[in-house]
Amino acid sequence: MIEVARVSKSYGNLQALASIEFTIDKGTCFGLVGPNGAGKSTLMKILAGILQHFEGDIVVDRFSVTKEKQAVKQLIGYVPQELCLEETLTARDNLLLFGRLYGLSGKDLHNRMEDVLEKIGLAERSKDKVLKFSGGMKRRLNIGCALLHEPAIIIMDEPTVGIDPQSRKSIFSIIEQLKADGSTIIYSSHYMEEVEHLCDSIGLIDKGVLLENGTMDRLLEKYGTPSLYVSGDTIEAEHLHPYPITSKGDGFLVIDADPLFVLEKLVIRFRELELQPRRLELYYPKLEDIFFQLTGTMLRDN
Amino acid sequence: MWAIARTELKKNIQDKGIWFWTFILPILFIVVFVAVFSGQEGVEYKEIITQIIPGYAVMFTFFIMISMVITFIKDRERGMVARIASTPLPVQSYFLGKWVPFMIIVLLQIAVLFLFGFLVYDLPLGDPMALIVMSLFQAFLATSWGLAMAVLVKSENMGIALTQILALGGALLGGLWMPIEIMPDIMQTICKFIPQYWGLEGYKEILLHGGGILDIWVPLTILLACGVVGILIAISGYRRYLRLSKS
Repeated sequence: MIEVARVSKSYGNLQALASIEFTIDKGTCFGLVGPNGAGKSTLMKILAGILQHFEGDIVVDRFSVTKEKQAVKQLIGYVPQELCLEETLTARDNLLLFGRLYGLSGKDLHNRMEDVLEKIGLAERSKDKVLKFSGGMKRRLNIGCALLHEPAIIIMDEPTVGIDPQSRKSIFSIIEQLKADGSTIIYSSHYMEEVEHLCDSIGLIDKGVLLENGTMDRLLEKYGTPSLYVSGDTIEAEHLHPYPITSKGDGFLVIDADPLFVLEKLVIRFRELELQPRRLELYYPKLEDIFFQLTGTMLRDN
Repeated sequence: MWAIARTELKKNIQDKGIWFWTFILPILFIVVFVAVFSGQEGVEYKEIITQIIPGYAVMFTFFIMISMVITFIKDRERGMVARIASTPLPVQSYFLGKWVPFMIIVLLQIAVLFLFGFLVYDLPLGDPMALIVMSLFQAFLATSWGLAMAVLVKSENMGIALTQILALGGALLGGLWMPIEIMPDIMQTICKFIPQYWGLEGYKEILLHGGGILDIWVPLTILLACGVVGILIAISGYRRYLRLSKS
């Protein structure tokens, strides 16, 4: 459905993207993860047809972004990081504007608008001015503006920035519904847990380079071995000898091919030494850990 | 294009600031200055009103640039420009959609001010067709410069300051505040390079001397040429404007 082929982009001497390559299957949700300044927004802008001067090409459903940009734009609904709304106008006015920009009109536009208002949960507030809305409601309307023309592909650039957990949950349910409807979604975020939760496949990007991409299972298979997490006031590194360990939070991660076996052994040892662990549990690596393995930094450090 | 134009017009109608700058303030200026100058001996009343009313009409058309700058900077800061660039709308339609409502507002402004002059001060309106064409060209000039300024300036404050320099400086040098005949020779030469001067000359020719379209071809040509320069600057600055836009 989407084929990104050797896309590079520079701003002067700064290489924002370096020969990025990946493909996204139809009807899947692809998560693009990386710290601020990694190149996510630049790639999103290129995919959405906003940035036109770059090397390489992107083919969306047989159409080239560089050669057939109007056809590509019609296929895409872009949800930018910024709230692109006319605050002095109503939710309805904002939806009408974007519907018309995608060529909708008359009854068709009004029907689509009612559908979208239902989908984003703003039907009852549709005649209110946007400036009266909460941050979460504005975010939902921002998404709604991209859905009017029923795009096959929805690009979402950090759609949950700066909102409360309840609004985030509400946005997740909109995304789940879009996935169920068969939309292809490209979701950019620096919240790893969001991407893990929502996306079928993931691309990790840092300093303009796509470090890795694939399904979460494939990434875990390649980079993440389950380990054992141990913490407690009296637990020291020597109590875990001879297993290889790394520090994590207040405790240690014990890395071994058979963490269940180690767990059994450690329980016996702690009983003998009368040590009381606060936490002793199997730890399954997360995207954050894979990112750490690939870059040597935690995403939140950025 | 009409989607943008309709939205922009709706926003502008709700904007109280634009009503003040466009209609209330110019009418106040006209009332005050006609009151001050109409009592002077040796000056014909008709000459005073055909200087002051079109003079202030021309000057205040340029204040639309403030609203244009604010609109465009807001679009840039909110990422609206990039958002619209992601839709199938062509660049030129975005500009046209933004421009048309301001053009309508300026034409409405000129109509209101001249109607006010006609009803209150018995201002002669001359050939209606010439007046309409002259007003179209004047509105084109003011809004095209507004467009150029809007895509070039870095901030709202910079845009407002430059607009005031252009509007007030142009009014002073272009002879909008006082008849050019009473100004020093050097000023009379300088004013020929100021588009505002040609705006007023065109209107004076229609209102004072009963001129038609053929009699105002020189002011029309100059306003058109200056307006085209504004449009070209705006088009060439669009890529930078888009680059600076948040998304």
